This record gives sequence, structure tokens and C-alpha cells, in this order.
Amino acid sequence: MELCRLDDLQNGEARGFVVPEIDRKIILVRREDAVFGYLDACPHYTDGTPMAWKRNAYLNGAGTHLACHAHGALFDIETGECVLGPCLGQGLTKVPVNIDKFGGIQATIGILAEESA
Amino acid sequence: MNIIGTDYLIFGVDDIAACTEYLTAFGLTPVGVDDSGGLFEALDGTGVIIRTKGDPDLPAPLPTATMLRQQVYGVRDASDIEAIATELGKDRKVHRLADGTIETVDDLGFSLKFQVTKRRKLDMPAERINAPGAPAQRGPNELGVWETMPAKPRMLSHAVLFVPDIDIAVRFYCDRLGFVITDTLVGAGPFLRPKANDDHHTLFFIRTPEYMKGIEHLAFHMGGPTELVVAGSRFVKAGYESFWGPGRHKFGSNWFWYFNSPLGTHFEYDADMDKHDDDWVAREAPFGPEASQMFLLQHREKWAPGGGPGPAR
Repeated sequence: MELCRLDDLQNGEARGFVVPEIDRKIILVRREDAVFGYLDACPHYTDGTPMAWKRNAYLNGAGTHLACHAHGALFDIETGECVLGPCLGQGLTKVPVNIDKFGGIQATIGILAEESA
Repeated sequence: MNIIGTDYLIFGVDDIAACTEYLTAFGLTPVGVDDSGGLFEALDGTGVIIRTKGDPDLPAPLPTATMLRQQVYGVRDASDIEAIATELGKDRKVHRLADGTIETVDDLGFSLKFQVTKRRKLDMPAERINAPGAPAQRGPNELGVWETMPAKPRMLSHAVLFVPDIDIAVRFYCDRLGFVITDTLVGAGPFLRPKANDDHHTLFFIRTPEYMKGIEHLAFHMGGPTELVVAGSRFVKAGYESFWGPGRHKFGSNWFWYFNSPLGTHFEYDADMDKHDDDWVAREAPFGPEASQMFLLQHREKWAPGGGPGPAR
């Protein structure tokens, strides 16, 4: 489903989107013209836990990594891998995203919706 | 050694502006804060100090993700500082600063400072409740809630630390500094209070691997459960991220509501914590959902009866 348009996301920006079928938001992060999608669920806890400190505030201070603002874990923006913090070696759940020919950012949430049920 | 409790928690952060916004929205008052950071205090003067991560005046960081750089304990008077310096000086360097404070490191690597407490005596009523069977606590026409009622953190309550070895932590704080264990959640860790403080806990340890060493959360006392829920609801409405709560713990009995933060630790509002004396016998319970709360609630959008309660979300 379309979450937003590429123009709505600045280079280096992250935003969270509520999706009706699943109980965690989807995070979109833009780096240049590539967009990466992840479930807003820190792997530090079994069921995952929301990571922002304020609406859409998913990045660390320098803007170089995604961060979980429960205990400060840092995640690589392009792979979702935890590089520092309590869930070292684990990673964020990837959400496949692609940009359609009209500039809309499409996320594939079918499998996540099944897992949530 | 009359340690009263934690006066300040000092953090080295990577975004002073974000933390300034957050701490102010949480209800703390900035004192001399500029873009190098500063103190954000509760009503009694205790609070959180932020500096930039690279500030050379901060103690060295722990080799983990934590942004906590120092715990500053308040004691009754200068003789208590002497007693602590003598005791800890037996087996580690204790630095004496020109202002009469001392700095050292505990047995797990956490930096500590001891000062004559800077907290101010508070004189304000607790939440006042009307109930049949007891005299009304509010006079006629005195309201319990109103839209703009104040709900500000009164005092730094406690800190919860991730530690790799609970026995080492307990030996240091209890045997060397005179803290006592009030209760234990088996599988998580012990609740500690310093001798000169009757609050159920100012410190709680959770055992984790070494690479997680740091601070799990910190908490501020509110004037009662209503102030806690009002403050938390305003915080949620402003866009901040609730983690757990509101609810009421069993051990300690305190109300709680935890939030994520840009300081890489949870911030908690708490209220109505049990107090204990030396007659108290510590309890034990296995850590888990049942032992962790008496009940748990979830904030939701306001609604009014008219067409049925609506979805829970």
C-alpha cells in the first residue's frame, strides 16, 4: 500500500506510518533517492517495542543511524542491523518498499499482516 | 554516612536541542541551560544535567551505548562526605574537588559524585482524596481536577541500572555505602534504599550482559496518581512515545508511566511510593508480568457515550 510520496520525505529524514492491519508503525528512511522500510519494533524485546522518542523521531542526534529510544540502540539505516546497544547482532524487521512510477512509496505489508493476526 | 538519594543524573548526549525540548516538555525547569546543556530540575532542585557527548569535563563514558556519565548523590552534611571518602579511599582513588564534593568510581565502572544535598525542602500538599468513612480531604467547592491544573515533577525518585553482576553491585552499595535491600524480583534484581531515605527504592539493579551496562530508566515523583496521569496524558498528546503504563507496581506500590527519550533511557513519572523503616523484612517474588504490576492501563483517545464504546485503539 502507498504510505506517502517520495516528495514528502526529505533526504536523511525518517517518518513513521500507522498501518491498519498491523500493530506497529512502519518506519521509512530516505537516503539520497533510496527509501528503506522497517517495522517500528526494537528486537530487544520479544514482541518488539516502539522506538521513537517523539512522533517521527527515529534517528540518532547526528542523523547517521536509526535509534531505539528505550535504551539507545543504534541501527544501520541501509541494513537495519544493530551496531551498538542491547540487541547487538540482531536487526530490525525489513519492510519491502519500492517507489512506483508516480513517485509514491509502496510498502509490501501482506506477510506482516498475517504474522500480526 | 547519611546518603539521602540521587540529586542529579548527568548525561552526555548527541542532540542538546532535542533533549532540551524533551526535558522541558516532561515538566522539568531549565536552569542556566544553553547550547552546551545544563540542569533541568524538578520542584525540589533535583534533576537531570545534560552536556554534549564530547564535553571534556565529563567523566569517561562506559564502553556501551549508555549516555549516563555520572550519578550525583546528595548527603546530609560534610561529615558524611568525609566518612564516604575514608571508606571508599581504602581501595580506590577518591578525588576531592575544590567545592567540597568528592568523585570516584563504583565497583562496576559507574562514575559517582557525592555532595551535600542541593535538594530544597518541599512544602506542598499531596493529592487530596474524598472518600466515605474518612474526613473529606478537599473542602466544599474545592475541585479535584481542572483543565489547566499543574502536574510538575516534584523530586528525582530513582534510577534503574543495567549491571553485569548483581552481587558486586549489592556488595558495593550495601556493604560499603549502607544501602539496604527492601525487596527482590528474582530473575531481575534487588530494590535498594539508602539508610537516610525511607522511600522503597532509589536504586534498582537488573542483571544484563556487560555490553548493556548503563541506565534502564530514571523516575520523578509526582504529587499523586491524578497528577501522574495528567502529566503523562499531556505528554502523549504532545507526541511523545509511551512505553509502559500507566499502572501501579506491586513492590513499592508506586504508580508508574514510562516513556522513551532522546537520552537513550526511559523517563518515568511515579507516585505514591511505599516508605519503610529498618523493621521491614524484604520480600521476594519471581520476576514476570504478575509480580511487576497490580494492574496496567493504556491511554486512549477521549470519547463520550453516544454510540457505544468504540475500538480499544
